[in-house]
Formats: sequence, structure tokens, C-alpha cells
Amino acid sequence: MKKKLLAGDSACIRRLYLILLSLLCVLSVAEASSLPVPQATITGRVTDDTNAPLPGVNVLLKGTSQGTTTDIDGRYTLTVPPGDGTILVFSFIGYASIEETVDNRTTVNVVLRADVQNLHEVVVIGYQTVEKKDLTGAVSVISPEASNRLTSNSLAESIQGLAPGVTVRNGGAPGQMARIEIRGASSFANTDPLYVIDGMIADANTTINNNDIASIQILKDASAAAIYGSRAANGVIIITTKQGKEGPATISLSAKYGVQQLPKRWDLTNSTEFAALQRTQFENSGATPPASVSTAFDPSINTNWQDEVMRTGSLQDYNLSISGGSKTGTYLVSGSYFTNQGVLIGNSFERGSLRVNTRSEKGRIAFGENLVLTNSVQRNPAEGNPFYDMPQMLPIIPVQGDAFISPTNPEGWGIGTTGAVTYAWNSVAANNLSPRRSNFSKAVGNAYAEVKLTDWLTYRFNTGLEVSFDHYRTIRQVGIWQFNAAPKPSSVDEERARFLNLLFEHTLNFNKTIGEHRIRGVVGISRQHITRENTLGGRTALQQYNGDYFTTIGSATGLSTAGGGRPTDYKTFGYLGRVQYDFRDTYLLTATGRIDQDSRFSENYRTGFFPSLAAAWRISREPFFNVPWVTDLKLHASYGELGIVPLDSWDYTGFINTSPRAIFGPDQTPNGGATQAQLANPNLKWEERIVQNIGVDASLLEDRLVVTLEAYNTLSKDNLLRLPVAGYLGNLIANPFINAGSIRNRGIEVTAMYQNRAHALTWDITGNLTTIHNTVEDVGNQGQGIQYIQSGNTRTQVGRSLGEWYVLRTNGIFQSDDEVQAYRNADGKVIQPFAKAGDIRYIDKDGNGEINNEDRDFAGSPWPKLQTGLQGNARYKQFSLNLQFVGVFGYTIYNDVRRALDSYQNTNFRRDISPWSETNTNTGDPRIGLATDQGINENNRTNTDRWLEKGAYVRLRNVEVAYTFPETSLSRLGITSARVFVSAQNLFTITGYSGLDPDLVGNTDPNNPQARILERGVDQGNWPASRAFSLGVQCSF
Amino acid sequence: MKTIYILSLCLAVVLTGCMGDLDIANPNQPTVEVYWNTADDAVRGVNAVYSTLHRGGISRWLPFYYIIRSDEGRSQSPATDIVNNMDQFLITDYNYGNAYGIWNDNYVGIFRANQVIANVPDIAMDETMRNRIVGEAKFLRALYYYHLVTLWGNVPLMLTPSVPQDKPGTTSAEGVWAQIEKDLSEAVAALPTAYTNPADLGRITRGAAQALLAKAYMQQRNYSEALVPLEWLVEGDGKDLYDLMPDYRDNFLITSENNRESLFEWQFQLNPSENHDDDASPADPDRLNYGTSVSQFFGPPGVGWSDGEANRWLVNEFLEEQTTDGQRDPRLEASLLFDSTDVRGPGFTMIYGQTFTQRYGTDNKRVWFRKFQNDHWKDFEGYNSPNNWRYIRYADVLLMYAECLNHEGRTAEAYGFVDRVRQRAGLPLLSDVMPGLTSAQFLEQIKHERITELCGEGHRWNDLARWGDLSPALADRDPGFSTFDVNKDELLPIPQQERDINPALRQNDQW
Repeated sequence: MKKKLLAGDSACIRRLYLILLSLLCVLSVAEASSLPVPQATITGRVTDDTNAPLPGVNVLLKGTSQGTTTDIDGRYTLTVPPGDGTILVFSFIGYASIEETVDNRTTVNVVLRADVQNLHEVVVIGYQTVEKKDLTGAVSVISPEASNRLTSNSLAESIQGLAPGVTVRNGGAPGQMARIEIRGASSFANTDPLYVIDGMIADANTTINNNDIASIQILKDASAAAIYGSRAANGVIIITTKQGKEGPATISLSAKYGVQQLPKRWDLTNSTEFAALQRTQFENSGATPPASVSTAFDPSINTNWQDEVMRTGSLQDYNLSISGGSKTGTYLVSGSYFTNQGVLIGNSFERGSLRVNTRSEKGRIAFGENLVLTNSVQRNPAEGNPFYDMPQMLPIIPVQGDAFISPTNPEGWGIGTTGAVTYAWNSVAANNLSPRRSNFSKAVGNAYAEVKLTDWLTYRFNTGLEVSFDHYRTIRQVGIWQFNAAPKPSSVDEERARFLNLLFEHTLNFNKTIGEHRIRGVVGISRQHITRENTLGGRTALQQYNGDYFTTIGSATGLSTAGGGRPTDYKTFGYLGRVQYDFRDTYLLTATGRIDQDSRFSENYRTGFFPSLAAAWRISREPFFNVPWVTDLKLHASYGELGIVPLDSWDYTGFINTSPRAIFGPDQTPNGGATQAQLANPNLKWEERIVQNIGVDASLLEDRLVVTLEAYNTLSKDNLLRLPVAGYLGNLIANPFINAGSIRNRGIEVTAMYQNRAHALTWDITGNLTTIHNTVEDVGNQGQGIQYIQSGNTRTQVGRSLGEWYVLRTNGIFQSDDEVQAYRNADGKVIQPFAKAGDIRYIDKDGNGEINNEDRDFAGSPWPKLQTGLQGNARYKQFSLNLQFVGVFGYTIYNDVRRALDSYQNTNFRRDISPWSETNTNTGDPRIGLATDQGINENNRTNTDRWLEKGAYVRLRNVEVAYTFPETSLSRLGITSARVFVSAQNLFTITGYSGLDPDLVGNTDPNNPQARILERGVDQGNWPASRAFSLGVQCSF
Repeated sequence: MKTIYILSLCLAVVLTGCMGDLDIANPNQPTVEVYWNTADDAVRGVNAVYSTLHRGGISRWLPFYYIIRSDEGRSQSPATDIVNNMDQFLITDYNYGNAYGIWNDNYVGIFRANQVIANVPDIAMDETMRNRIVGEAKFLRALYYYHLVTLWGNVPLMLTPSVPQDKPGTTSAEGVWAQIEKDLSEAVAALPTAYTNPADLGRITRGAAQALLAKAYMQQRNYSEALVPLEWLVEGDGKDLYDLMPDYRDNFLITSENNRESLFEWQFQLNPSENHDDDASPADPDRLNYGTSVSQFFGPPGVGWSDGEANRWLVNEFLEEQTTDGQRDPRLEASLLFDSTDVRGPGFTMIYGQTFTQRYGTDNKRVWFRKFQNDHWKDFEGYNSPNNWRYIRYADVLLMYAECLNHEGRTAEAYGFVDRVRQRAGLPLLSDVMPGLTSAQFLEQIKHERITELCGEGHRWNDLARWGDLSPALADRDPGFSTFDVNKDELLPIPQQERDINPALRQNDQW
């Protein structure tokens, strides 16, 4: 299926066609039917298995449309005709429906059991909802009850381990987004999924309150995602927020308080141990130890830099909501406040949010909106990463001291000196001298109108808005935090930005059953416009009185600067359609297509077509199928094409850059320059994915065991790559994009849930596992004979996975100088002439008699062989227990923090190193010495497997114990339900990794998106997941 | 009711459809197609070529390759890549980033110059000014090729604005030199001897073009051709334009930039609000650093990174002779920071506000370059030094002239120009203390004079190359040369990535 260009004419024809279609629909109107006469009254109460009342349960007289819903206390009253055959159907989303025969009872109380795998559960698949049983594509549904047990920075972080095929890696810092990928990485430029919140295409970043979320569905294959066409290639996460329910107002309140700490820290030498080891180091190299560790060693200075920077953090999360509604309208208003004092000084995040979701109906028309207003404040030091600097900084340097006072360091922050050399940062000083505050004020929401044109056709107009007003303020005070660092004048810098994302959509949904045939679907158009504008201002020379700085731009007295622009401005325009046909609930067919146009391409390449086809066969409905222990069995398969545009707004064209400045004149004044700085490729086109999926859904043993199995094969083509261009072209900023790459991802996803509800102790357990086999198929013309992209110590080579380690291989330690001399190549050349006994031996792969880059080899993959998640729930009377495990296996990490420590140069030492010496030969650590010695230098080569480690781990993500109060004890207080809980997050991690946390996001360079994807396995001082103990209460009135 | 539904539906669909215009202009920057129309476009175009000089590859790392790699400098940096690649001829990687950065930034300047040379001639504007602007661009293009040819020798010659498909072959060093000579000769013809508008101070003059042309000839050992531009500078028009400053140190202070001894300076200025070095970053151009960071990298420990420093033998060169009044050569104090920058010793030698003894004790024998540093006006360094790099001084021109005259057998004439330089330093006349030197002896003396006058200014590597002195024999002065391979290390390896992308390029011999 090739993409076709769509001329403007046919766009108009299409529009006309839509209008005609709508006209047709309006012409038929359904008649209402009359109701039977009621004759008897039944009352009762519906509760869940913890005896908590269930409001809003549908109670229906079977075979009629007559019914009611339960009130706030779970009670209902229904008038029914008398007789033995009367049956009531109790149904509620998320619970297994129950049918009760009334007989001659007047009170019918029922207990509904939570149904983890409800086939009638409604799933949002983009512009349409379907019952889970009718799905033909790969969709994971995550229950917010599971994801919200964790206190997390973002939605992505909260769903780690809860769905197969979804890889989440934690960032850790307050307000930091986790890295999320669905079914591997298929792009060199952008692997972020598309988020759709209540129909609005907008990021679910840290400004979204997870407690507002009612459901999370993840569309993983083309059949599910193709309706989002050109943006769907990295998967789609659809979020629906909570709505009010018919009934009197319900007030819900939850409060959670927790403390946070880092579960692990580096075990480092104290000042006395450090001094002894550094003396040995200098003496080994024949040098005189510095006075700071010998003649002038001061044992009273013993700084534990981890103690100085780490602290016990805290979490607070409060939510208050009021919701309710009538037959013609519902409302939900919720307010929340979340704050996280981070486990490092100077780091915090807080968020306040207000949500208003309403829906009103009048006749055939329904109106509604879902809107959230949030304000978030993140504080952190503007520069640096203490996870690098804390371990490296020397214990013989005090945090502050008079000896350090100088004009460039007026507060005397302790830093390296010529006598105690370290270039590590004093993170306490950096935190004090250069704080940054980031403020995001944001509104995200949508408003819609629905017109029920006939009983089978509904028109919907949806408009979405995401507007964010961002404000960043960075202060720089006078002072330095690093040995030899250049001083800077005090200054304040502010940036104000406005992000605006507008969405307009018109859709027609149809749903028609003719005999055993059912046709459902949606057609529509979608238009989106995204802009971002920013203004920068700053001024040097802050005023300071009594140690306090004035930090507004106006109060500063030095040079002012200004900047700004509109870095982002693009539009997309799409025609979308999906038709689902099913016959007898047994054969299901889905065809989906989208034509998208995008302003980020030049005119000739703007239009792309993204089709998909899927089929499912519910084999368990066939007459011949007669396996008593199989309740439901469905096979499905899909094929489709998706796209993605990882481009900025105008990458396809060349521009004149006016940033250069030339200095002329007696006062040496800057004069503006203008030049083309960046080359451009006008022939950019869509990145494309071809996605194939097959799957099996099965319910076994009377629904006690539910199993889902998916296998997929995704090939991305025409991946946008910044192919290196030759330096002689004089290109700057970034290499121009070109469509050249290709990546394949294959894998298997399994979910299995077993539930046991037969006894007073009910329990369920859900496990999932994921394999991702990532293969690079093409990297474009990187140069003659070059089938790879080198990024740091990784090589992304055709036939292998993205970002495999490509380093020198070590082979033990030379035990004697004779061994060094004996280590020769075939020509008799000494391979490591600078080495001495105790130095690392490297493998001379090419046998040329020297160790150089040609000797590098593949040495492991950052891709886990297996990712797993496991959740267990148990309930006994009023008590419940929840456990969540995550296990990731079979990947390799480059531990760059240990590299800095174990290179022994200008750094503190790990306490448990055991450097080689003539009396200590049975060790893996090489001899300790100074880098003036070439042999030591070679031990410290950065591109070797010495710094690679296995990264497998199993983590208890969360354990929660809760107590639900019995209704009787609450009703006098007017409380309908109440629950208290304690939880421990990240209580333990089993791993062999020596760094602080094997769950890491890799390279985080904001200016190098490709390195973020290719160097996914490097630990550059990753902020570890904190351990948190929380206490919380939830109640409703 | 139905009609209303239908009408509103149709209206909504049509309205939305009409908003599907996908042509969005970039409000931040003009496209290449609409530029190059006015005199102002031309001026700003050539300004961008100058701006390249404060890019890090040129303002920071180029001095490392001309100074630290030569025998006058060394590195004891904890960053061993600097030591290996820039001091010791242990090239760790043909794509070594800092060398590649020099390559890239010089080609950035060439790309910018090529845009001016290709587009400005078609602009309707004052002809003299148009020629001048093209002349400035040609000088700067020649300057960037001068760097490339003296470091890499055989490089691709880009003479028109780049497009991604360009796959030039290698041009031999001779071909590159020929283009440099052509560009400089055309620049000489087009450029004024001085600018009438003071706001243009710092732009390229005819004198600068003559001097660089002389250097180009001399590096090819074409001394007779070099005499032509040198005669213009020393005996001709240049005689009235240039002279030595009475105080040698004025050539290195921020208070006496663009003085009459100066033919060409890299113009630097402090931007106190600077926060980035990339002169193409569109984000915040007001905060561009248009100073140089080399002073931070050459700064002594406790002040700067000390990634590059001087070899101790330089001190001894100054001590070989005394001034006519029995004092130490004053140029030593202006040139180097060491335990006796103050002749009274470490207790009196001030290193950025503290005595040498306070900072390093009394038995530290390290030596740092002082020229273009900022200790004359502040006690610290930074990445944004405003101190102009005097690229060609008149003293250099005089010594070049003497060297060429000597080479052409006119040694007796040459004495006078060496003596002008010596006299300014207070040294006795060479014609008095060393009369009657043979041509070979005189050349040896020139070598000494160039060290004492010009050390730490970036000329040493090319001097050694011109004289054929690059060899392991220099290891006595600079242990880094013990790993120097003759017929190989004179040139750097062409970055491998260039050859991978464009197989038409060939590698230098022996690499």
C-alpha cells in the first residue's frame, strides 16, 4: 500500500462527501417504545466484596429497558411485575455482572466482585469505544487502581511493569519524566508515544494528576493506532479522566504522606582512609604525596559529601473531589495538591490542580467538557549532576572554609586546590549559587458537542486545548564551585514561553445491527495547530545586601539581554476513518485508514496515507467448539502502516542565521552577521512503520484464568537520520535530516491473570512478560563501507540492536613485567609497551601489535532480553494486600560513575577497592598510581569493557496494606466508605549492579536526541528510584 | 430542527476544512532565497565570516596546535587526550574531536566566505565597498586555508557555497597555497590601507593581506616572492602605517589593542552576560561569547585549567643576553609567568593577585604563557577573555623581512631590521655584538630572535616547519618530540570521517 499524494481538489470532494453522508444520516429518526406497567417493589443494596457500597450500579429488569441505578449507599428501589420468572441484572463497569432471580423476595442484596478481565469492559480506541471482547488489535488496559498505588512523578512512571510491551525507565528526580517506549525503539529521533487525554492530543507529563485518571489504554499495533495515522508510530496512550455519575453528590477525599530516601549510596573512603590511599598512589608513581594527605593532613576535616547533599525527602498528595449528576447531566470537580521534597538538597516539585468535567444532555444533543488547570513548580540547581560529583569530591575538602575565600569565591566554598586536586563540583555550593525555578501554568482540556442524528449515527464536534505558560528563572550568585573554574558575574535569567496546542475534530460515529451483521465505525476530520513562543531576558550584577540577593531583572544593575522567537509552529490536517464489521459476534473485521498532511514537509511531501486491516475470530462461539474449561477464545491478526514526524517546524528549508557577531571599532562593539549556517534537505518525507500483530485472548476455568498472547513484527522505514555530513561543508547546528534508516522490532507479550474468589480470602495474581528483539536494518550511507552509527561507546550496526556496547576487551591483569614483555603479536611487537605489572591487559583484536580503536568489539546490549511485571492482590475481610514487582533481565550497563571513581585520578576512592600490588595479586583492580604514568592512563581508557556491568534486577515496586472500615461503623458519621493504607515503594531491589540503580534512563543530553536513544544503557549518574514509605487515607461522603 | 442540525453541521465541516492551509512561514529567520539583496546584507554577510574567529576551534584549540604542540609548549593536563594529541604526537583517533573542531571551524569560515564571494558581486551597491567586502572575505578565506594547509597540508578546496552533495577530491598543498596566494593578491588590490570610519577598526586592511601573503610565500620557502609584500610593508607604504610600540608589553594588554604595531588581530570583546560559544545558535545571540577561552586554558593552576603551558628552556633563551644597561630582557616578564617573572624571585612574583610562593611554594619550576592573559587587570581568567590575539605584529614582519633578505644573500641589509626589534627591547645592536655573521649563522640568530620576540604567539610551529627543524632532536627541549615521526607528524591525519563520507579524499602520507 503506497502513500499517495492528495491534491487539493480531492480534499474538497472528500469534504463534500462527508456533508452528503451527514445529510443521509439525519433523515432517519428512531421511535421510542412504550414501557410495561410496574406492579411490585423490590429494594436492596449492592456492595463489593469488602462490603463497601457500590453507587451507580445498573439494575435492570432482564429483557426490558426498565431499570435504575444504585444510590450513594449502594441502595436501589425498583418496581417489577410479579412472578417467578423475574430476573434482575446487576452490572457495573469493572465488576462481573450478576443475574438474580427475584422469586417472591422484596429485598435483593447482591455482592459484585471486581472483574479484572471484564470482556464487556469499554475500551477507548480513539474516536470510538468498543467492548473489550470486540477488539481486533493489540490494546493493553491498565487499571488506575494499580497505577495509582504508586506515588510517581508522571503517568509513565506509574505504569512501569503493569503492561506488556511497555518499557518504562525511571528518571527519579522530582518532576522528571520517565522514559517510556512501546514495543521497543523504532526511530533514531523520537521514541515518545502519542498521548490522548479525553480526546485531546496532549502530553501526559508531570503536570497531569494521576488521581484524575479513570482509565488508561495503550494502543500498540497498527490496527489499534492507525486512526492516529501520522503520529501513532510509537504507540498511543489514551487516557480518560473521571466523570461524575448519576446520583446525589459524592465527596471523596484522599490524603497521603510519605518519606523518601535513597536506598543505596556509594561506599567511599573517609578522609583518613583517603589520605592513606592517596599517599600510596603517589608513592607508587615515585611522586611526593601532597601535603594535604601527608604533612599537613587535617583529620578534623572529614566531609561525607553524600551526607551533605542527600536528605530524607517527603511526599504529600491530597485530593478532594465532588461529583454527581442526574439523568441529563453529570459533573466532577476535583482539586489536588502534590508536593515532593527531593532526596537531594535543592530539588523539589509541587503541583496544584483543579479539574472540572461535566456532561449535559438535552434531547438529542449532549455537551461536555473536561478541563484541568494546573500549576507546577520545580526547583533544582541550574547546573550539574550531584550523582557524579558527590562520590568524586574529596573527603579532605570541607564544604566551606576560610582558606577558600577569594574574590571569585567570596563565600569560601570548598573546592579542589593545587594541593588537593579534584575537578569535582561542590554540589552544595552549586545548589546555593545557581538555583533554578521552573513554573508551568497549564490548561488542558476539551469541549464537545454530540448530536444523536439517528439511533445509529452520532455526530461529534470536539475541540481541544492545551495551553501552557512556562516561566523559568535562573539565578547566578557570585562564587564558584569547582577548582580552576571561571568566575561569572551574578545574574538573573528568565524565560517565559507560551505553548499552544489547538485541536478541532468533526467525527461521525455509526453503529448499526442488521440481523447477525453489525457495522460500526467512525469517519472524521482532524486539524491541529501547535505553536510555542518564548521570550528571554536577563541582566547581570545583582544587588546584594546583608547576604541577600535581589533577583528580579529590574533590580539588577548590569548588562541586560533579550531574546526570543517562535521556535515551533506547525499544523496537521487529517481525514480518518474506521469500519468494524462483525458477524454473529464470531467474525470481526476492522479496516482503518488515515490521510494526514503536515506542514513540516515541503509541499511535495506533505501527504501520507496510513491504512490498516485487522481480523478476529472468536473460535469459542463456533458450534463445533466444545471445550468446557475454555470460556472464551479469540484469535486476532492485524497489518498496517503508521507514520511519525520527528521534525521541527521548518527542517526542510535553509535559512539565514543572524546570530554571528563580529567585533569592530575603538570600543570593540559587536556587529551583527548573517549567513546560512545549517544545510537543509528539501526532500524530507514521512517516517513509516509497517506493523504486523497476531494474538490470542483466552478465558479459562470459568474466567479464573485469563491469558493474552501477542506477537508482533514492526519494521520502520525511511527513518529520519541526521547522517553525518563532511566537515568541509562548514555545516553547523545539526546535520541535516535525511530519510535513510530502518529498524525492526519483534517480540512476544504475554499476560496471565488468575483469580480466586471462592473463599473469604480472595486473591488474584497478574503477570506479564515482554521480549523485544531490536534489529537495525539500515543506517543510510554513513560513509564508504560503514554500516553503523557510533555514539559515545555504543555502536548501532546493521544486523544488531540499537546502541550495543562497542569497546576494547580486557583480559585480566599483568602479574609481572615479564608478562608485559611476553605479550606480543605475531610479529613479536610488544603490544602494551607502557604497561607494568598490575596493569590491565587488553585484547589486540586486529593483531597489529598495538591497542587502538581498531581493537574495539561488541560487548553487550543495553536491551533487556526479558521484561516482566507481577502484581498480586489479596483480600480478607476488611484487609487487603497489594504487591507489585518489576523484573528486568539480560542487559548491560556502562557504569560511568564507577569509571570516574576507579580511574583513581583526582577523585575519592571506593572503600572496597583492592588495587593490585606485588603482595595483593589476586584482585580484579589494577595497580593504583598517577596518570603521569602512561600505564595508568591506559588502565583508565574510557572505551573498555572494564566499565560494563550486568544490569538485571528484580524490584518490589510497591507493597500496600489497606484496611477498609465496615459500613456500620461509618454510617453514623455520614461516611459512606473509608480506607486507610500504608505502602512501601521500592522496598528492595535484587541486583548485581554496583551503581546506585540499574533502572536508568541513559544519556539525557537535551541537545542530542539521537544520543538519548542510542546511548540508552549508560549510567551518567542516573537519579535512582527512591524508597518511599507512605501513609494514606481515602474516604467518601 | 433537522434543518438546523444539517446547516450547522455543514458549516462546521466547511469552516474546518478551509483552515487547512499548511504553508507556514518561519517568523524567526529569512530563507536563503530572499537574502543577498542590499549593501547591508553584504556587510552582515562578511561580518559572519569574521565571527568565525571566536569559535572555539579557532580561538581556543588552534593555539594549542601551533604553540603547545611545538617545542615551546607542553601539556600536563589531567585530560590525557590533550597531552597525547596536542603535545606528544600520540594521535589517539583520526577523528579526535578537538582537531576535528579546528578543521570544522575553519571550514565554517570558508563556507561563510564562499557565500559572500558568490553572492555579493551581484548586489547593486557602491562598487568600492562591494569590492572591499569581497576582498575581506577573500582574505579570511585565505586565512582559514592557511590554517588548514599548515596543519593538514592536502585538503579539499571548497570555493563555492556548500551543498550536501559536494564531494570534492583532495587538493595537494601546492594547490591550496596557490589559492591562498590568489585570494590574498586579490584582497591586496581590493582592500584599503586603513578605514576612514572608526567603526570599521579591526577590519582587514591591505597591510594585513600583504603580511599574510608574505607568510604564505615563506611557508613555501619562496623567500624571493615573499620580499615583494614585505618590501611594501617595510620600505613602501607600510613604512608610514606601522611601527613598533615603544613598550613591548603594549602588544599584550587590553588597553592597547589595534595599536600601530598591529597588522591583524583576532578581535575579542568581553560579553559579561555570555552563556554560550556557538555563534550559530539562534536561541540567545545577545549572550554569545565573543571573547576567547584560551586564557582560561592557558591559565596557571588555581586560576585556569593549565591545559597548556610553556617549557622551561624558553626562560633560558631570554637570559642569554642582557640589556645595554645590564638588566634582564624585559620581554621575559611580559612573556612568561614562572617563579621569577619578577626578577626578585617567587616571593615577589605575582600570580593573579598572590605571590608565586603563596600559590605554589618555592620549588615549582612550571612556566606559563603570559601574553594575551588578563592578569594585568584582574585576578582570574574565564572563558570570555576580551584580550585581542595579535595575529601579525610589525615586529614579526621585520623579522620575516630580515629572514627573507638573509635568504636572498642580503644578510648585511637584514641586520638593521633585527636591530629595530632588539633595540625596542633594550638589547645591544646585533651589528655591534655579532657582526659579520654568515647567512647560516644569521638564520640561527633569527631563530633565537623570533623565540624571544614572538614566543607564545602562535608562530613557532610554522617557524620550525619552514626551517625544517621538526624532528625528535627537539626532545631535548620538549620531551613530547621523542615520539615525533619525521615525514609523518609534520601534518595531522585527515579526519577519517571525511574520507568515510567522501572516498575521493586521500589520507596524508604515512597515516
